[in-house]
Amino acid sequence: MNKEQSTVFLIDDDQAVRDAVALLLRAEGLQVETFANAPSFLESGAAERHGCLVLDVRMPGMSGLDLQKQLQAQGYRIPIIFITGHGDVPMAIRAMKAGAFDFVEKPFQGQVLLKRIREALVQDAEERCRQAQRADAVARMALLSPREREVLERVAAGQYNKVVAAELGISLSTVEIHRKRVMEKLQAESLSDLIRLLALQNDAS
Amino acid sequence: MLSLRRVLWRYFPHLLPDSLLDAATLTAQTTRCSWLQRLWHQRSHPTTLSLLYFGLGLCWLLGGDLLINTWLHNLTPPPLALLLKDAILVILGTGMLYGLLQAHARRARRLHKVQDMRLAEFIEIITDVAFIKDQDGRYLLFNSAGARLVGRPLNECLGLRDHDLFPPDLADRICADDLQVLTQGALLNCENHLLIQGETRVFLSTKWPYRDANGHIIGIIGIARDITAQKQAEDLQQQARDILEMRVLERTAALLDVNRSLEQQIIARVQAETALRDSEERFRQLAEHIREVFWVYGLAEERILYISPAYEELWGRTAQTLLERPLDWLEAIHTEDQPRLRIAHVRKLESGYLNEEYRIIRPDGAIRWIWDRGFPVRDESGHVYRIAGLAEDITTRKLAEDQLRRQQVELARMSRLSLAVELASNLAHELNQPLAAIVAYTQACLTLLRLGKVDPRDLGGTLEEVAKQGFRAGEIIRHLRELVQKHPAAQGVVDLNALIHTVLHYAQLELRQTGVVLVLELDENLPAVLADDIQVQLVVLYLIRNALEAMHDNDSTTGERRLAVRTGMLEPSRVQVTVCDSGPGLSPDATMRLFQPFFTTKPGGMGLSLSASRSIIETQGGQLWATANADRGLSLHFTLPVYRNLGLPSLSKSRP
Repeated sequence: MNKEQSTVFLIDDDQAVRDAVALLLRAEGLQVETFANAPSFLESGAAERHGCLVLDVRMPGMSGLDLQKQLQAQGYRIPIIFITGHGDVPMAIRAMKAGAFDFVEKPFQGQVLLKRIREALVQDAEERCRQAQRADAVARMALLSPREREVLERVAAGQYNKVVAAELGISLSTVEIHRKRVMEKLQAESLSDLIRLLALQNDAS
Repeated sequence: MLSLRRVLWRYFPHLLPDSLLDAATLTAQTTRCSWLQRLWHQRSHPTTLSLLYFGLGLCWLLGGDLLINTWLHNLTPPPLALLLKDAILVILGTGMLYGLLQAHARRARRLHKVQDMRLAEFIEIITDVAFIKDQDGRYLLFNSAGARLVGRPLNECLGLRDHDLFPPDLADRICADDLQVLTQGALLNCENHLLIQGETRVFLSTKWPYRDANGHIIGIIGIARDITAQKQAEDLQQQARDILEMRVLERTAALLDVNRSLEQQIIARVQAETALRDSEERFRQLAEHIREVFWVYGLAEERILYISPAYEELWGRTAQTLLERPLDWLEAIHTEDQPRLRIAHVRKLESGYLNEEYRIIRPDGAIRWIWDRGFPVRDESGHVYRIAGLAEDITTRKLAEDQLRRQQVELARMSRLSLAVELASNLAHELNQPLAAIVAYTQACLTLLRLGKVDPRDLGGTLEEVAKQGFRAGEIIRHLRELVQKHPAAQGVVDLNALIHTVLHYAQLELRQTGVVLVLELDENLPAVLADDIQVQLVVLYLIRNALEAMHDNDSTTGERRLAVRTGMLEPSRVQVTVCDSGPGLSPDATMRLFQPFFTTKPGGMGLSLSASRSIIETQGGQLWATANADRGLSLHFTLPVYRNLGLPSLSKSRP
């Protein structure tokens, strides 16, 4: 698990709103970084970092929705909470469909926003954790030989060793050796561990 | 003896010398006795002569008897004497009768001779050619006139033929004529031409048959007269007649021409009269049947000369009254329009022109709008002597116009309202910005205070920020109120550049949010215009919003989003404002329908604002139109009249 402190990235073109919200979040003990517009956020490379995005929908130049689209295109999965003074429904729907974490109308209850931010941060942390596990699983799978992989897949599918041996045209003892090696390479304690890892790997691919 | 002579002279002229006879003839002629005269004239007649001589013999017998009786009675005895007496008487009588007969014959011969001589002399004397020819054509008689004609002595001519005397062709013709007379035995007239001394002379020959005592034709008698002069005279006369005739013909022709042209003139005049009558008839029909009132005012007569029947229908007053009282029509006019119309009437009499709209009140109380126009009618010298005019009932049109104006006002109001509502919602959205900031600040402060992490005195800056945001919200609300407030429409002096800056202030948020580059090209020397401040603000705001929306909807982010606002002078009297966007522009069809109410290309738009903007600008005396930009996008332009400080309070006239 990465121990990096999660940051709230606040992007709003309105100076006052930016300052006020930042002050509020900091008062609540959150780490906040503010940006006046979307491009400066992209340039800062903050998208790769842990945390969540509090994003104004309408901004000169690149709008919030544009930024959302661009981040997705680049593969960033940082949760986005939209804040808007123009709470029109179609825009909210568009944002949510595109995978926004939430859509909060100005002026907002500080607690509501804080709650959503915390949730978003948790989700981000979980997501990043899952992502790390996936990466780990993938890395371990990469160690397996093709024959071992074949054996693993059949075993994970619930086939008996005998059946596996018959299907692959190898002896039962060879199957058992393969299975043992797989367990070692994947650092799995049990069959259920194997199945979870396989699922994670499949999820990641 | 004297008496006897007289008796003899009288009754026996044959016995007397010619001179005596002549005298006797004279006497007889002078005598009044008619029977004697008749007798005298027939004295040569045998019967007369016999009677005369018988009487004479009887007288002689009785007288002699008496004398002899007396004489013989003395000589011899009665029987012898009687015998003697008879013998003597017979002898005497016979002898006397013979003597008388002799005398008569002698006289007759002498008379014939004289007559022949006279005839010959006559024939000789006459200037006409006289001749007698035998059956063979030989001349038996030829007078000296004829001899002169043929140029030969008279004696030589006798016994010759025509061919000896005349040129052959003429002689042939004469012979042919002669033959005709001899065979037909009738009188013949013919003309012959003869060349004499180089001169052609014309002769008229008259020939007839020469008969003997038994009536047999033995020759030809003829007479030829030189009718050259007569012919010439006739020719001259003919010529004169021809000339005369020609002149008559010419004159006739000329007269016919004149006649024809007169007829044409008459026809033309008749046609002109007919046309005039038709024209008058048409005019009459027109004037009497059109719904408009046609009138003619005589300036010299100082009264209405003609007014069409529609007047009675329209005014509800009789034309007769109007003809008697020329100002009758004015009395029907609505009291509000009367002063104006009285001035117009006076001006009409001066200039001849009238163009007024006014209301009349009919006797039944109904109000009618009239459009009355007058034009001067000039005489040949260009002097205005009449005014002709047309008064038209425009009530329906006026009502429609009122209706339209009301609708336009309503539309403008609606549109202003819709603009204001849109703007209000926009501003309300903008209010969320400071409100959000205020809420966030205060909550942050509260949190900090609650946690006790901060010295309350350090929160002063934050609270100031809160107050600033509160003022910002108040400012937004103030703008909002300005817009939504119902301003009485009033024209005033407006600085368009300042107005545009104000409007841009309203639109700041949107400008900021749409990320449009704003280009301002404002003419610094722009004169003030005369307009309704708020309304023009609305229009400018609308145009800017319209441009922003056009560009916002444009997904192609390739080009720069650019909003240009320009002001400048179009003409010395007009200022132009242009709002130019770089959006997708409009299709030609859409450009055409752009100003129709309820036309819109925007998903949520009502389509009122552009048509409303136009009506607002037109109400201000300007124009609003759209043009496509050369590269891309659309430009919307409007003009407004320049304010001139002429002190024209009438221009700020309030509308209904």
